[in-house]
Amino acid sequence: MSGILLVAEIRRGELRPATAELVSAAQAARRGSDDRVAVAVIADDPQRLVPGVSLAGVDEIIAVKVAAPEFDPDTFESAVRALIEARKPALVLVPHSIDSFGYAAALATKGGYGFATDVFRFEYQDGALVATRGGYGQKVNVEVDFPGKDVVVLALRGNVFKPPEGGSSPAVTSFAAPDLQPRTNSRSFIEVSSADDVDMAAAEFILAIGRGIGEQAKVEQFRELAAAVGATLGCSRPVADAGWLPKSRQVGQSGKTASACKLYVAMGISGAIQHLAGMKHVSTIVAVNADAGASIFNVAKYGIVGDIFEIADALRSHF
Amino acid sequence: MKLLVAVKQVAALDEDFEIRSDGKDVDPDFLIRDLNEWDDYSLEEAVRIKEAAAGGAAAVEIVVVCVGPEDADESLRKCLAKGADRALRVWDETIEGSDSIAVARIIAAVARKERPDMLFAGVQSSDHSFASTGIAAAAFLDWPHAAVVTHLTYTPGANTAVLRRELEGGVLHEMQLECPAVLTIQLGINTPRYASLRSIKQAAARPIEALSLEQLGVKPSDVGESGSLSRVRRMYVPDRGHAQMIEGSVEEQAARLAKIIKDLTGSAA
Amino acid sequence: MSDVEIVTRVLFEDFTPSAVGLFYALGFAAIALFFFGVYVQVRKYRRGAAASLGGNLSARFGAMIGTVLSHRTVARRDRPAGAAHRLIFYGFLLLFLGTATITLDYDILGPLFGVHFWHGGFYLWFSLILDVAGVLLAGGLAYMMYRRGWLRPPKLDYARPDRRPGDPDYDRSGYRREDWAFLWTLLVIVATGYVLEAARLVWLEGRPEVWSYRWWSPAGAVLAEAMRAAGLTQAAGGALRQGLWWFHGFVALLFIALIPLTKVKHIFTSAGSLMLRDPLAAQRLPGVPEDQQRVGAQFITDFTWKQLLSLDACTKCGRCHEACPARAVGAPLSPRDVILSLREFANKTLEAAELPAEAELDVHGKGPGQVAMETLWACRTCMACVEVCPVAIEHVPIIVQMRRKLVEDGQMDPLLKKTLQTIHKTGNSFGESRRKRAAWTKSLPFPVKDARKEPVEVLWFVGDYASFDPRNQKVTQAFAQLLHEAGVDYGILYDAESNAGNDVRRVGEEGLYEVLAGANIQSLSAASFKTIVTTDPHSFNTIRNEYPEFGGNYEIQHYTTLVQRLLLEGRLKIARQLGVRVTFHDPCHLGRFNKGYEAPREILRLLGCELIEMGRCRSNSFCCGAGGGRIWIPDPVGLDKPAHNRMREAAAIPGLQVYVVSCPKDLTMFEDALKTTGNEGKFVVKELIELIGEALRREPAVPAPGVAA
Repeated sequence: MSGILLVAEIRRGELRPATAELVSAAQAARRGSDDRVAVAVIADDPQRLVPGVSLAGVDEIIAVKVAAPEFDPDTFESAVRALIEARKPALVLVPHSIDSFGYAAALATKGGYGFATDVFRFEYQDGALVATRGGYGQKVNVEVDFPGKDVVVLALRGNVFKPPEGGSSPAVTSFAAPDLQPRTNSRSFIEVSSADDVDMAAAEFILAIGRGIGEQAKVEQFRELAAAVGATLGCSRPVADAGWLPKSRQVGQSGKTASACKLYVAMGISGAIQHLAGMKHVSTIVAVNADAGASIFNVAKYGIVGDIFEIADALRSHF
Repeated sequence: MKLLVAVKQVAALDEDFEIRSDGKDVDPDFLIRDLNEWDDYSLEEAVRIKEAAAGGAAAVEIVVVCVGPEDADESLRKCLAKGADRALRVWDETIEGSDSIAVARIIAAVARKERPDMLFAGVQSSDHSFASTGIAAAAFLDWPHAAVVTHLTYTPGANTAVLRRELEGGVLHEMQLECPAVLTIQLGINTPRYASLRSIKQAAARPIEALSLEQLGVKPSDVGESGSLSRVRRMYVPDRGHAQMIEGSVEEQAARLAKIIKDLTGSAA
Repeated sequence: MSDVEIVTRVLFEDFTPSAVGLFYALGFAAIALFFFGVYVQVRKYRRGAAASLGGNLSARFGAMIGTVLSHRTVARRDRPAGAAHRLIFYGFLLLFLGTATITLDYDILGPLFGVHFWHGGFYLWFSLILDVAGVLLAGGLAYMMYRRGWLRPPKLDYARPDRRPGDPDYDRSGYRREDWAFLWTLLVIVATGYVLEAARLVWLEGRPEVWSYRWWSPAGAVLAEAMRAAGLTQAAGGALRQGLWWFHGFVALLFIALIPLTKVKHIFTSAGSLMLRDPLAAQRLPGVPEDQQRVGAQFITDFTWKQLLSLDACTKCGRCHEACPARAVGAPLSPRDVILSLREFANKTLEAAELPAEAELDVHGKGPGQVAMETLWACRTCMACVEVCPVAIEHVPIIVQMRRKLVEDGQMDPLLKKTLQTIHKTGNSFGESRRKRAAWTKSLPFPVKDARKEPVEVLWFVGDYASFDPRNQKVTQAFAQLLHEAGVDYGILYDAESNAGNDVRRVGEEGLYEVLAGANIQSLSAASFKTIVTTDPHSFNTIRNEYPEFGGNYEIQHYTTLVQRLLLEGRLKIARQLGVRVTFHDPCHLGRFNKGYEAPREILRLLGCELIEMGRCRSNSFCCGAGGGRIWIPDPVGLDKPAHNRMREAAAIPGLQVYVVSCPKDLTMFEDALKTTGNEGKFVVKELIELIGEALRREPAVPAPGVAA
């Protein structure tokens, strides 16, 4: 049992950044020179995506041509399982993403492979694979292992492993995916549009509000504050779900990623993992929260424990 | 017509919690239990489908199932109060130490017994966030499945359903799938109803059916650690990075924050 | 002069027997109609649910007679109306008693026993009193007309905040017409009565036993002289008397017949409502029996017969409308209009011979006579309405019972829903762990006894806000300091204390209230103490008035009572007089609910504060707006808030330095409002405990603005 198999994530014909993160994560898993890293590209036109996967650290690209034009759980599950059974890799890495939510557990169940999700660290200890994930709302860490499992499938948390620098010229092979009758079919993609055409991903300075603002009437104060300080107003999921701000302003796993952001001021946001997914990479994060134990203080650079309304008022007077 | 909804009683950490002596979990004294937030939404979706179908050809029965010890009855009662017709619970000591796949095996066995038209679960649980149980159960049943469903159009008994998955970045992916199927339901798909304390108290009079592994045809070796695809070695409180805290009066703190902003955005001081 | 003994008024003089017969026929017809009307009203009330009345009926009756005769409740906060109504009431009462006296003599004692007393001196004094009574009545009526027609107080235009123009029941002109019709009808009856009396005098001027005694009917005599001077002859007087007699009699009998169908019924319904009043109506809400199928009021028939009767007692005086803090800030709630809507609905549905189908009896909604949920949720349960109502209508329990139905159906603001779920889960509205409830004790330099583990003399029930809200925690710590200094043997329940449930009950989540009360009573029963003290008026109210029903009978005092005693006994020594100008905001649940007005004021006096009362003080204190669960419901954007309204009232006191509160919610609401109304820097908001602390120390903690250093 050797070799590391990665499954590329593809959406609407494009490779998602999570794929590159898997590549760098895989490097740490190499146990010998003959431990090869192979990336499976499962798509209706896999050859087109080969250049995008030719990253440093990739030894082989396996082109798996399938009928489904978009992600389909049955297609991915059966293709990856067939690959595993054919090649018997010791380790299979997939992103912990919306797509993998749809098939990774099924894959591991049907194959009886070792399985852990939302893993942010893993290593071999005395020859055994040990993966670390969170527990109890990310307040503790949990180490898991996979006794007796020759193949282990790990779903890796996003934005933890940095994408590799540089390219490579990996060997490109093909693999015939099993025929199957898909039980789901893709119909369309829908952008959630709104009159508010803000581009959160391009904003360099974001002021985000969370559940701590308490009620819709309080949004106005922060909207005005954001304008005064020159920030784009953003929010966490509960604020968008409640309809206090449009979904287009939501930062987080199901919202936008603050990709271009250099300064992120989070007010009344506790730091749920889904929100952090969208902003914890920002170089300067300032968190203001009444709860000194809020998880956001673990990722922020600066923190203020206080009443967000008082701080907002006082801040306003400086601009 | 029947909808089966798998629910979990999750645990949140209380103040000043302690890891128990075997180092693999938190001391139960410090755990606060409640129904998983996602399950509010999946149950509500099932109840809405039932209410929409009321007066139609056949009545829709909603059955909730929970793999958990006796204190999970509290969450099951809440589900009965919110519109579930029957509640099932499965537990014995051999199930202790099960990962989400072993739990899914049990849920799949319940589904084989109950033969519902659909199986709903939450996308993940708020305590350990495996995001696996529902889809693993689909694999055991070999049923069509979809995860992170944020919108659903389904008539009980129909052989297809149309749904939307909520993707990263807020894009929705509309798909059609064959039924019976397993769906994991995402937050925000609906607004869960309120269950008054009175309705919960009245639900206390309704029975919760306890099922044994034997009745479900599940072997003890298929659950617990031996039936899992991973094993907990240890649980610990990590050293965490922490922000540099800005102290002082509100004015002082705000002034410091203003300076950080001005320095970084290059506006005139 | 003839023998005075024979002086009397000959009834039906010169009437043919058939005319008398006609009159009696009309009389009986009017009485029959009257009783039929009464039957319809009683049938309506009996279609309501059962009611349990405390106390004995004769004591209640006596109290009601006293209240009605004194007119104390009618004069409150509207002295001119009170005075005018006294005139109307006594005038009408005397005239009614007069007619009854005549009937007694002429129709009962005379024919049955041959006894006649209505003559001679008795008759003369009778005539005088009744003449005066009529003038009083007319005077009262005239004032009321002037009030409605010229003074036009806003509350009498019946503009309602819970409907919009265009809604079918928005227009209130029907009520105004009825009011004017009532006034005019009575006035016409009185006026024609005098003219009739004068005409008779003129007609009988030739009869000395009438004419010489005419000044015993002074008003009639004045009119008679005027009419004679104007040329009225005896014969013409007789004819006028004949015609007016029938007119006056007919209108009066019609008036009587229509009493049960018009506003006039308040004569009986107001008295009935006063007799059946529950003095603790808002302080001690009704429980829900175990076996009751449905919870809360959904249908008009879910209200008790007593409540349905009280709906008919309302005379649209508008005092509750004026007192309501929600109405004052523009919320779609007027207690008066809740009562009137339900009354209109009851009349529409329950006065029919057949009871309509249940679906038509639903009082919730936006249709005519229904009450919208926005209206119900706007209520602060401050009981200003109940307290001021002259006829003892109990608005708050009606609103809470309707809220219970909304809660069952989940029809409430999402934030409120979440808060109720949080309280159920953690026992407090902040969502904090139970373990953190006593975190405020950690920074104290002395230990606080654990009443779960050892007996104490005084058990201090701290409450949610006092335990978890950072600003209020300072007050809680200051109170602990006070108790410690005074050497009081006290303890707290630590994690065994839950939210007392007062506001949860007033939101209408009765099931959750039962859970909270049960848990607290269990904790209290396991502890050993003599008395409970609390700094939270809401907890004070529910433990004192509502816990007994659930098995928790404790002696409880608000801290102001305890501290007043400690100060008077010298266990707390005042080191300096504060010398600041203050005003005191009576908390609803301490003041109006439990009559706790004096202890805080006595304490302020002992502290050497100069107390300037706000206009709306004591029983008329203006709620901060947080009650009834409103602190858990976001305020609508754009509306004023009760706390701001109150702040502006305080700001009008010249030289005010400290706005004193003694309730954790008041502290939170008013400190906020101080800033938002732009009064920061003009005066401060302080809890009474903080002022006491300052007076016990030699130097002030923080000088209040405006105080010379």
